[in-house]
Amino acid sequence: MPKELKAHIHAARICENEQVARGLWCLVFEAPELARDLEAGQFFTIAVASEPRQVVRIPLSFSAVDMASGTVETIYAVIGPGTEALSRMERGETTSVTGPCGNGWKVSSQIKRCLLVAGGIGITPLLSAATFLSRENIAFDAIIGARTADMLWGEEALSALGCETVLLATDDGTTNFQGTAADGFCELLKTETYDCILTCGPPAMLQAVAEIAAGANIACQASLERNMTCGFGACSTCAVQTKTGNKSACMDGPVFNAKEVVW
Amino acid sequence: MSDSIKPQTSGAPAPNSAPAHTPASAPTPNMAVNFAGIPMKNPLNTASGTFGQGWQFENFFDVSRLGAITIKGVADKPWPGNDGSRMADVYGGIINSVGLQNPGVECLVKDNGEYLESLTKRGCPVICQVVGHTIEEYQNALRLFEELAPWAAGYEINISCPNLGDGCAWGAKPETAAEVIKSLRPLTKRPLAVKMAPVNIAETARALEDAGADGLSLINSISGMAIDVQTRRSKIARPTGGLSGPAFHPIALRMVYEAAQATKLPINGVGGVMTGEDAAEFILAGATSVSVGLTSLADPTSPMRILEELESWVVSQGATDINSLRGAFEC
Repeated sequence: MPKELKAHIHAARICENEQVARGLWCLVFEAPELARDLEAGQFFTIAVASEPRQVVRIPLSFSAVDMASGTVETIYAVIGPGTEALSRMERGETTSVTGPCGNGWKVSSQIKRCLLVAGGIGITPLLSAATFLSRENIAFDAIIGARTADMLWGEEALSALGCETVLLATDDGTTNFQGTAADGFCELLKTETYDCILTCGPPAMLQAVAEIAAGANIACQASLERNMTCGFGACSTCAVQTKTGNKSACMDGPVFNAKEVVW
Repeated sequence: MSDSIKPQTSGAPAPNSAPAHTPASAPTPNMAVNFAGIPMKNPLNTASGTFGQGWQFENFFDVSRLGAITIKGVADKPWPGNDGSRMADVYGGIINSVGLQNPGVECLVKDNGEYLESLTKRGCPVICQVVGHTIEEYQNALRLFEELAPWAAGYEINISCPNLGDGCAWGAKPETAAEVIKSLRPLTKRPLAVKMAPVNIAETARALEDAGADGLSLINSISGMAIDVQTRRSKIARPTGGLSGPAFHPIALRMVYEAAQATKLPINGVGGVMTGEDAAEFILAGATSVSVGLTSLADPTSPMRILEELESWVVSQGATDINSLRGAFEC
């Protein structure tokens, strides 16, 4: 085949589906083969057959897998009819998922200290990265940005995985840092040294983080979000503009070298 | 499922020769059809742009079980496609503005030729969709395919992409649609089907028949819109895009019926096929073959389910040959 085929279809049984922060839900479903095959930073697509405004599957990053129970966890934002319908699915319901999709984070074991920069729901693939870093004994800090404190999620999970500093950046400053996630990045750079930045969040934040990282000469990988139709390279709807032409978020990404992206 | 191929005269519908009742001992009907001179072991085809180059689906089912595949449209040179967000979910489907991103014929063949040739050898004909802005570009792309893709079973000439500034221009009028086909006809002996624009169906179908087309494929997605009322911006990067999915199936069905009434050309029905019943509607309206589009992207195993459902429907009609049900719609 011209490219490696990774995705398969799996039956999924919902184990948990609960709101965890303003606008954010945590979904856990049982799909043992998918749980086994997912690598940090990859994604899957999930069918919500009951919603006529969501004919295609919803692409979602995963936050964690549990091999023992064969489950996959994702934190997702309810942003439209499709994710609203997903949030109404209950424990015990079954659906269909496709995955693993795409290419995940690439972190060499030579990395000494990594920084994760998340904007809102961008935390999800960074939680899977944190699990990987923890397992590889690579030291890491994290910044989670959101407009307000009640929209933040992930601090406890990151701390449990050994994250040393978690900066919670909010516009109103009701957390431990007032400002954007990119502002937090500049703040940490005053005292810390990193050789790897992993980031996911809104496009403006990603661009700011990529520029700061480039300015500090630190390698930076960004996980990009695009509206997708298939998730396995058949439709060309998830194009990402790069310095070497249009690439697809689902097959070439969703994780890209930030220097290659045309922001 | 029958793997036998039943050749028929190119361009002519099969005679209605099936017996009125299916004997209980023969539950497997003949599903083989001939679309535009391309023998297909069953009527299931894929809508161009929704099936990549086929290999993307090999993890999900044996692609060679399809009657044919139609690969994504390719031009003489690489096209980057449209900038910005290219799809939005809407009621009963999606709106897309891919803009025919493609690597050009040479790169397409270099990267995919080996797979597509092997798919042909496995019994699944490959229909190559050809795109262009100008007559010269269409001709150049077709010449390149003729030179580089001996495995191609035939061509689908796309004169109807709703996402090019001038993409509908060739297909919008019978005269210009015919002009494209007349310019391509001398360049190949292989079957030429035309992906029609969803306008002026009867008149354009007749003009295409006169111009030398071997088959019609319809419909392409219909130009539509989706607006984010909070930001007051289009949900895709352009004001309009192509609507596809079950929402537009009834429109596609009506247009296939109109085309079947207007010409003798074999028709490939395209538009919102989610089930065997949807595919059967196209056959009854006069289609020889049926393409699965968005449904393949939503559920990549769906073509095999749809094929099984279609076969069950043929049996339920007491027919032994799907060709006997073509155009059997009664008003």
